[in-house]
Amino acid sequence: MAPALVAAGWGLPAIALALAILAFGPVKGMALALAMQAIGALGVVWQGRVQRKAARPRAGEAAPEPLEQPGRVWRGVLRALLAGPLGMVAALAVALCVAVYLPGDPRTRIVLSGLLMPVLWGLAMTWTLADRRLLRALAVLVGTSLLGLGIAALGGAA
Amino acid sequence: MTEQTPRNTRSKQWRWPLSPETVRAVLSSHSVLGLAFAAVIYLVCLTGTLVVFSPDLQHWEVPQAPVVPSLSDRAAGRAVLLAERQAAPDATLSLSLPGPARAGATLMAYGNKRAEQTWAVAPDGALVPMDAPWTEFLLHLHVNLHLPRSWGGFIVGLTGVALLSSLVSGILAHPRVVRDAFHLRLGGSRRLQEADLHNRLGVWALPFHFTLALTGALLGLSTLIVAALALLLYRGDTQKVYGLFIDPPPPADARAVPMPDIAALLAIARARTPEAAPQTVSIARHGRADMRITVNSARPRLLVPQDEVQFDARGTVLAEEHPADLALGTKVLGGIGQVHFGWFGGAAVRVAYGLLGLALCVVTSSGVTIWLARRRDRGRAAPQWERIWAAVCWGQPLALMVTAMIAMVAPRAPLPITWLVLTIAIVAGAALVRIDGARLAVGLRRALGAGLVALGLVHAATVGLGPIDGVLCLGGAALLALTWPVARRSAA
Repeated sequence: MAPALVAAGWGLPAIALALAILAFGPVKGMALALAMQAIGALGVVWQGRVQRKAARPRAGEAAPEPLEQPGRVWRGVLRALLAGPLGMVAALAVALCVAVYLPGDPRTRIVLSGLLMPVLWGLAMTWTLADRRLLRALAVLVGTSLLGLGIAALGGAA
Repeated sequence: MTEQTPRNTRSKQWRWPLSPETVRAVLSSHSVLGLAFAAVIYLVCLTGTLVVFSPDLQHWEVPQAPVVPSLSDRAAGRAVLLAERQAAPDATLSLSLPGPARAGATLMAYGNKRAEQTWAVAPDGALVPMDAPWTEFLLHLHVNLHLPRSWGGFIVGLTGVALLSSLVSGILAHPRVVRDAFHLRLGGSRRLQEADLHNRLGVWALPFHFTLALTGALLGLSTLIVAALALLLYRGDTQKVYGLFIDPPPPADARAVPMPDIAALLAIARARTPEAAPQTVSIARHGRADMRITVNSARPRLLVPQDEVQFDARGTVLAEEHPADLALGTKVLGGIGQVHFGWFGGAAVRVAYGLLGLALCVVTSSGVTIWLARRRDRGRAAPQWERIWAAVCWGQPLALMVTAMIAMVAPRAPLPITWLVLTIAIVAGAALVRIDGARLAVGLRRALGAGLVALGLVHAATVGLGPIDGVLCLGGAALLALTWPVARRSAA
């Protein structure tokens, strides 16, 4: 397919987003466009579905396989601690630094830090569950927590 | 890397930024997280999908409640006066006026000493009680799993974080995200079919899934975040953090005063912001001299009402706020709930949210199915887990449908306990019974289909056919029709 056509196809969602923002306002238009575009795109995917006969998957179709990791109990417990409480504290520490040090209205700082915290915690979860070097992850998360909470406490007390 | 496709020009031009080993490690993280949280993510997504339609479900449960397309200021004033007589003295009254995003006018009284009361407002301002126990049960199951508010909210918030993390790892572990963007291969290998469904529904609706997970996580974790902020900034006084977003209460004055003319206040609010239409009227400390009446108005191009006029007990304007006066944080905070539940754009947006919510349920369900199919392909089938997962996926809608039936015939029945007992019975039964997981899924789907049709028919026969009854009957019939060929294949 011609690259121009492909580019035009991918450009359609961007144009639809711009039109929705013009018609309904920036936030409302974006929220409407993102929900409706997803429905439209899935409709296009459904139109192009292929019905196949029962068969074993061919080699080229195989998706990447998850990495087999050692199944020791202590690694599982440490991994859960890293992804759960430690990841949460580290994310909270960075978010608190944002709330304390970001310039601007305190309400904006608080809400932005609130939005940042789940994202950071989610990223910490992804990383600690994927990284096989658990001690490195432990050091980074503990360091981030101590440093972040300390810096935030200094700013909060000031 | 397991990808063994022939090299082509595109792969020479651009490569996935992660090494094959990293992709596999991230996929492993995706699997672990998905499996650990699958059931609770599925439950929260399923109930959330239904909660999107709670304005419609309330009217389905209480069909005698009027749905007015518009309400005169005079009728609004009468409704407030009537509610004042019935509400607890410490209750706050909140009148929602009909608008483009939501048909019908409702009045709610909420406070600390008595349970919430909700009424639908008739065209003349008369109040019709609108207690919808099943919708209420569903909402609390979604928001806090019927656990104590802070614990339940934290678990739901943690689920949102796990979903966010799964979305990130799912994308990072999908090197063929663009190349396979339009592939949907049904039939053939079960694992490939489920993977295609999982990836297409996950990727194309990613902005929706991400927004929902983020806003849900923030709503659930807000207590924790506020507590941490208060500890750091205000020596643990959480009220000081909340105080940044809400007005401080006026000096107490408990002398009894009559309610001012709400119609006149609405006219003043309209005159102050002609480009906005009044959407809610809130009355705090009603009947007292320190009463505060707030009229919030919405502009068509804004997501939520951002114009506010506040009056005292005599109807004097005390303060007003308009979009330009609001901090970005206040605007964002005001929109989070609306964006999360899809209550900002009328029925079309609710239907879109409902469909995308179902897509997220399928993404969650297919994720576990892929893992189970992978185990089976490797000769390590887990039939007990296959049955349990079938019981979660099809047993949860079945349990919710049964609670709806019970609420219809016995509105005072303890729905949370009923739901819990049903859930335990279905999952424990699935773990113990010796039956193929696929056959169990078919049986549960049939039971769900038949139950949905019965629910729609009984409701239509007793109170008259409504749109939700039609959806229930059609959805149930579709489920029954879809299970027939599957049943034949299984038998063969």
